[in-house]
Amino acid sequence: MTARLPGTAERPETGAGDATASSRTATASAGRGADGHALLEVSDLRMYFPITEGILLERHVGDVRAVDGVSLEIRRGETLGLVGESGCGKSTTGRAITRLYRPTGGRIVFDGTDITRAEGEPLRRIRRRMQMIFQDPYSSLNPRMTAAGIVGEPLDIHAIGTKTERRERVRELFRIVGLDPDFGERYPHEFSGGQRQRIGVARSLAVNPDLIVADEPISALDVSIQAQIINLLERLQAQFGLTYLFIAHDLSVVRHISDRIAVMYLGRIVELAGTRELHAAPLHPYSVALLSAVPIPDPAVEARRRRVILRGDVPNPASPPPGCHFHTRCWLRERLGNPPECETVSPPLAEWRPRHFAACHFVDRLGEMPESAAPATSGVSRPPARETPPA
Amino acid sequence: MALLEVRDLVVQFHTHDGTVHAVNGVSLDVEEGETLGLVGESGCGKSVTNLAVMRLLPRPAGRIVGGQVRFEGIDLAGLPESQMRELRGRDIAMIFQDPMTSLNPVLTIEEQMVETIRAHRDVRQAEARERAIELLRMVGIPRPEARLKSFPHHFSGGMRQRVMIAMALALEPKLLIADEPTTALDVTIQAQVLELLQRLTTERGTAVILITHDLGVVAGMAHRINVMYAGFVVETGLTTELFAHPRHPYTVGLLHSIPRLDAEEGEPLIPIEGTPPDLRRPPVGCPFAPRCAWRLPACWEDNPALEPVLRGATVETTGPRATHRIACWNPPLPQEAAAGRPLREGFVPAPPPGGTLRAPSELEVPVEEDLVVFEPGGGPVTALPGAHELPEPPAGDGR
Ligand SMILES: Nc1ncnc2c1ncn2[C@@H]1O[C@H](COP(=O)(O)OP(=O)(O)OP(=O)(O)O)[C@@H](O)[C@H]1O
Ligand SMILES: Nc1ncnc2c1ncn2[C@@H]1O[C@H](COP(=O)(O)OP(=O)(O)OP(=O)(O)O)[C@@H](O)[C@H]1O
Ligand code: SF4
Ligand SMILES: [Mg+2]
Ligand SMILES: [Mg+2]
Repeated sequence: MTARLPGTAERPETGAGDATASSRTATASAGRGADGHALLEVSDLRMYFPITEGILLERHVGDVRAVDGVSLEIRRGETLGLVGESGCGKSTTGRAITRLYRPTGGRIVFDGTDITRAEGEPLRRIRRRMQMIFQDPYSSLNPRMTAAGIVGEPLDIHAIGTKTERRERVRELFRIVGLDPDFGERYPHEFSGGQRQRIGVARSLAVNPDLIVADEPISALDVSIQAQIINLLERLQAQFGLTYLFIAHDLSVVRHISDRIAVMYLGRIVELAGTRELHAAPLHPYSVALLSAVPIPDPAVEARRRRVILRGDVPNPASPPPGCHFHTRCWLRERLGNPPECETVSPPLAEWRPRHFAACHFVDRLGEMPESAAPATSGVSRPPARETPPA
Repeated sequence: MALLEVRDLVVQFHTHDGTVHAVNGVSLDVEEGETLGLVGESGCGKSVTNLAVMRLLPRPAGRIVGGQVRFEGIDLAGLPESQMRELRGRDIAMIFQDPMTSLNPVLTIEEQMVETIRAHRDVRQAEARERAIELLRMVGIPRPEARLKSFPHHFSGGMRQRVMIAMALALEPKLLIADEPTTALDVTIQAQVLELLQRLTTERGTAVILITHDLGVVAGMAHRINVMYAGFVVETGLTTELFAHPRHPYTVGLLHSIPRLDAEEGEPLIPIEGTPPDLRRPPVGCPFAPRCAWRLPACWEDNPALEPVLRGATVETTGPRATHRIACWNPPLPQEAAAGRPLREGFVPAPPPGGTLRAPSELEVPVEEDLVVFEPGGGPVTALPGAHELPEPPAGDGR
């Protein structure tokens, strides 16, 4: 039972009762926290960075395949979490989607318009509807601009409103993110990290975007401040019907905020599922290991947890392993006696359960693994999941 | 007598824009074979506490202004630098967040390891080399003989941290101070390194001070935990006890503000409002008071001492019966700790006296009903869910 991901070029019908995505509405009805329509469809996105050698005559000697065939779909009003370890291509995916990069290959369709190769005025119009929030609230704000200037800059760029209207809008944006508008004339260094991130959030909201790509928006913040920003992002989503691509390496945070999660490894998505499904029953051996590696702040839980410890490091994306990118570290492959497919055939991201995709040849053998390999839970009985869309 | 005893340690930094009150009277003990977790957010004094213990504070800015540090009963302040240098590495070893700061980039791993071993042990080159290979194998570096010739930059972050662990444990120290050893690493690599650290130190009975801001990491690694805030230890106790029955508002706040991988779905986060204090101002009152939902009028004026949760209990500082202690005038009740907020009917955190103290973060304004409300010129008045009657804001000074 395999099918391709919604959003890929071919969309064969699946055997699964609930159709994958042979039509847009079919996918839509699947949305948990969404109004139904795909706001963004990415198929087979590739982003390679050339590696060159030589000083005078630069020879192209290879590519860093930062993003190597990513397909995903984000529905209006939902939050898609993108997780994975450092260097797996999360930021590059986000930047290619918002067209800060020109993709090497693949297709990006935003609200029905193909923007893969958009340039000039059409690109500018699209950019207004997609904004990014960056990780580092220290370096992502221009130190020579006032807070009000930073927040209002997108309004200036897009020539929105009169000067007075813009000033009023900036004050409103300050209030929206919980900052005192009277401090607009201060410079970034006069704010704390959390406050600077609020400035970044206010700026991203200035032009009323549909999609916000938040790239590790809380990673640089103090632990006690992170929740303030998470709650702010959640409140803004509900208030303005925003759609988020939330990029982070911290699975606990991603799980908290996302409706669906895409797990990335070495430039590819290895698993894509509803948050609850991914957590309850991960289908890719990498996701299993990732879930089991996340420390849980509860000694009772930690004491009875068994971890799946991966061997070695993430390989170099300039020369990813052949076949399944994960095979060099895969515990499942090892337990299955190193079947040859793993090294030779790249497993497609296939729908193993309704709307639960994984890219592994042996998903069906995962169940034979000892119980201890499954990520531990606190033993707290789970309430029925929330069904109400956040927006 | 514990292996390491730190009493009332006070450390300050003299900088061009004032004195930084980095550590304000920290006491801690570590017993042989024990792992003590030191948690708290950035800038709370975790690293400085340990640099002071090792007498490695940056000079001349950093000064130990008060307190004692005893290792195996010896007052470290009185040791001549030459003996202190002997002790570092041999008896107390340290690993840092960024291994590159402690590895020499121009020397091979072999040169560095052999040098470390021979600096403290009277062994020949070949013997030291054998020991280095053995150590690298122990920390899981594949083909250690070949890797000895590598330079640090040839290794990945996780491998460098393994090399650091190998070097730190080379001389079988009695105490290992690990300052954020896995913070820079990916979570799957963190799991490898923590597993290694735990296995090796347990086998050898090495005492460990594990510094981290990740409560998940200490939950799995530490026997006891000290929670630090603004240069103070605000709560200390056995790991199991502290997580099961946190009694300090800051600890309670931390536990409620981080998402847990195994949390119930849809469980909201309760942020700690405001921002950490500016340590250039000398501490007045409880350091956590401006951000605390439980504060009483006294909290603004008097800094509570670290006292047993069960008042009057005899204090044990180490071991499996270490006393659970907190520094708080108004500890959350168990059901409040579970809820993450005060539940007492009509309770409102005390406004600052006369409205003269600054609000926790004067630049932020309320965005939700249950956040701190700021009145111009007045102090914060908190509208807690359920507390509908807000008192009159105190008369402000017009700020
Ligand atoms: N502009 C660039 N030129 C060359 N290589 C790049 C560029 N940007 C990213 N890369 C490489 O592409 C790969 C993916 O990088 P990316 O920043 O997307 O990863 P990430 O998942 O966001 O990692 P992190 O968690 O560290 O932010 C890395 O190997 C990186 O070194
Ligand atoms: N060399 C220095 N000069 C001036 N102030 C310093 C110096 N080193 C540290 N401090 C200050 O001392 C306080 C405690 O710092 P410390 O490094 O111990 O924090 P920490 O708890 O280790 O934080 P982190 O989690 O960020 O490592 C901070 O306020 C810091 O700014
Ligand atoms: S109740 Fe008072 S003493 Fe306790 S943490 Fe809050 S402010 Fe500090
Ligand atoms: Mg990134
Ligand atoms: Mg530190």
